[in-house]
Amino acid sequence: MTVLRAEPRAELRAENVTLGYGRRPVVHDVTLAIEDGGVGLIGESGSGKTTLARAFLGLLRPISGHILYGDVDLKNADMRMFRKDVQPVFQAEALDPRMRVGASIAEALPRCDRGRVADLLDQVGLDPALAARRPHQLSGGQRQRVVIARALAVAPRLLILDEPTSALDVTVQARILDLLAGLDTERLLITHDLAVVERLCRTSHVLFAGRVVESGPTAELLAAPAHPYTKALRDAVPKLGGPPPEAGGRAEAVPAASGCAYRLRCPLAGPECERPPALRDVGGRRVACHRAEDVPQA
Amino acid sequence: MIEVRDLRVRYGGRVVADVPELDVGAGECVAIVGESGSGKTTTLLALLGLTTDAEISGRIRVCGVDVRTAPPRRLRAIRGSRAALVMQSPQAALGPATRLGVLMRRALRLHGRPATRQVMAAAMEAVLLDPALLRRYPHEVSGGQAQRFALALAIALGAEVILADEPTSALDVTVQAEVVGVLRRLRAERGLALLLVSHDLALVSTIADRVLVMKDGAVVESGPAGEVLAAPSHPYTRELLEAMP
Amino acid sequence: MSAAEASLRRGLPRIPDRLAALGTAIILIVVLAALLAPWLAPYPDEPNPLEQLRPPGADHWLGTDSVGRDILTRILYGGRTSLFIAVAVLAVSALAGVTLGLVAGYAGGPLRDVIMRVTDVFLAFPALLLSLAMAVVLPPSVNTVVLAIAVTWWPWYARLAASVAASVSTRSYVDAARCLGVPAPLIILRHVLPNSLTPVLVQISLDAGGVILTAAALSYLGLGAQEPTAEWGLMVQQGQTLFTTNWWVVTFPGLAILVTAFAFNVLGEGLRNALDPRRAVR
Repeated sequence: MTVLRAEPRAELRAENVTLGYGRRPVVHDVTLAIEDGGVGLIGESGSGKTTLARAFLGLLRPISGHILYGDVDLKNADMRMFRKDVQPVFQAEALDPRMRVGASIAEALPRCDRGRVADLLDQVGLDPALAARRPHQLSGGQRQRVVIARALAVAPRLLILDEPTSALDVTVQARILDLLAGLDTERLLITHDLAVVERLCRTSHVLFAGRVVESGPTAELLAAPAHPYTKALRDAVPKLGGPPPEAGGRAEAVPAASGCAYRLRCPLAGPECERPPALRDVGGRRVACHRAEDVPQA
Repeated sequence: MIEVRDLRVRYGGRVVADVPELDVGAGECVAIVGESGSGKTTTLLALLGLTTDAEISGRIRVCGVDVRTAPPRRLRAIRGSRAALVMQSPQAALGPATRLGVLMRRALRLHGRPATRQVMAAAMEAVLLDPALLRRYPHEVSGGQAQRFALALAIALGAEVILADEPTSALDVTVQAEVVGVLRRLRAERGLALLLVSHDLALVSTIADRVLVMKDGAVVESGPAGEVLAAPSHPYTRELLEAMP
Repeated sequence: MSAAEASLRRGLPRIPDRLAALGTAIILIVVLAALLAPWLAPYPDEPNPLEQLRPPGADHWLGTDSVGRDILTRILYGGRTSLFIAVAVLAVSALAGVTLGLVAGYAGGPLRDVIMRVTDVFLAFPALLLSLAMAVVLPPSVNTVVLAIAVTWWPWYARLAASVAASVSTRSYVDAARCLGVPAPLIILRHVLPNSLTPVLVQISLDAGGVILTAAALSYLGLGAQEPTAEWGLMVQQGQTLFTTNWWVVTFPGLAILVTAFAFNVLGEGLRNALDPRRAVR
């Protein structure tokens, strides 16, 4: 459910972005835009998804390529505008353990506006009296709501959500997802959890070893994966009463240093996979795989 | 292999786990599911006599040993050899400065078992690990490999029961699938009994024969996995199932 | 799990806490005694030619020194000097070291490199030698001692604060503050400092004993406090030739140094345990 805005949002996108700490890149040549309807970045540990999120938040400068905010490179952009437009929602640990949660939220508000703390807590379904508590006196779900309240304080138009529910119990997670889905903001969701992406994002990008391997509408991507890795991810998720999950190849093989990074894990890998695959259109999706046409559909 | 009757664990008068009945036979897999604070981990620790400062009542038999009354020496012999505990992140439990092979050899000697190369290699192969990994240090293997090494250790020591506390929740889904595959294999080929503590209902439904659903220290529902998860009778189980994304 | 953790926590031995309480009590006594010296002291802190080198007894509980001053009186007044030196050294070096360390740890990059290299230069000199060199160049006085010790002490705090601040700076609440556009100095003050303080405080209390010992050493070498100022190290130095004949002149100030240094050490250990978040009681 997206509400149309009178004011068009300055689009945020990555153009051929390579990222890393020190000299070793962990994200290679990624191009993607944050569009309406929610965008998911799906990947497992080490895929570079959090690094990419930090770049979108202006916390990390690309080694090469550009993060564009509207038509301007983020390094030349008006950061005061940008900070009011784009806010992160990290995991619940994103609260200073020594600060009362009211003070944490107030930090996001101009001095004259501190009275809004109670409104914001109310907006995320928390009792305003909790403002006087410290993070460890709250439950995991309550902490996550506080994190969301603080992000909302500046009335951002885009939220960058980094695994916002992965540390929570399922019943709590369900309520937080309801809250997030009901918010009137655009979102970029970073997660390893396919079910959460399905709930919150119309479009998704699958990252493997720092590269986008498949992009497309979330529903289609999960119904008929065109990349063997997307398929492996989907089939590895246990389903209630379903067959035992399958790893789809050797899940712990390290990414290949040359050619297709996935080829050492890939059950379809052939000699052509020693050449790096380019992103190409396959059935309405962008896929980086030589053997996309051979991925079994089941 | 595991037989529990009227287990009640109290901390300072407060009941944190109350399990009227829990049986795991050879080759069976039973899962305890629940959210944080439900008492599922406490139950698991109580089965091995690993809770300190807790008042425990009821009857606990693991591998034929009465855990509550057995002398400490007898209990130690059970723990770690016939009944193995597998935790969420085994890497923390493995000494960082010792190669995996040395760890395994020491454990074997400690329990008076032959520590030959063949025994060790066979245990590694049983969990689909390359025996060459025995030369690595714990930080040089991935999380899934470390978890499977913990299982290999249990196999080498002749475990009959494995008690696993969220063994895959720190792992990526594809790696989780591999570890689950190994657990299923061990059960089928060696008749291992498996007691699994997990928050993941879907995962549990694919591997467990029976489930106990716990909430706030009490078992709210138990029965065959298929029945409980397909037609839950308790509202909390229903809530859990509906919350699943 | 939390219940099991709680039981583990309760199962820990309580003895260190008792030691820490003892240390705290000793320090409180020493501080009070030093503050109240003019009222507590049985005699004025002045030479008395008629009472030279009296052994401990009913009139002079701890005896008198070679010019007839009451040792107990001197120890009480000397505590003022020693504690002042300790507090001044720790305050100056913590202020300088922690400030530089926090900036280095938060900023990272070239700024961190510059600050840490400067720190390394200071650490490259053997501490006591550097203090000695400074004390030799400057006129001997209590302020000289403070300066000489602080110069060798701050780099440790800078290093400690930098490493703690660097790890705190990677926490997502710091990133969240940056995303709100909070200026760097405010982030350091509001988030990095409070969350880095525990190990620094522990180190400071562990170090207090060391500072008192170093100050005593400098005074002992004649480079610190000067007569007629009472200072424990100076008292030991003046009494050392008399040790075989008049043991009390050396022994009691020496004990004062030892007990105070020990008390600060156990207090530091106790603080470390008490402030360890893993042992924090909700």
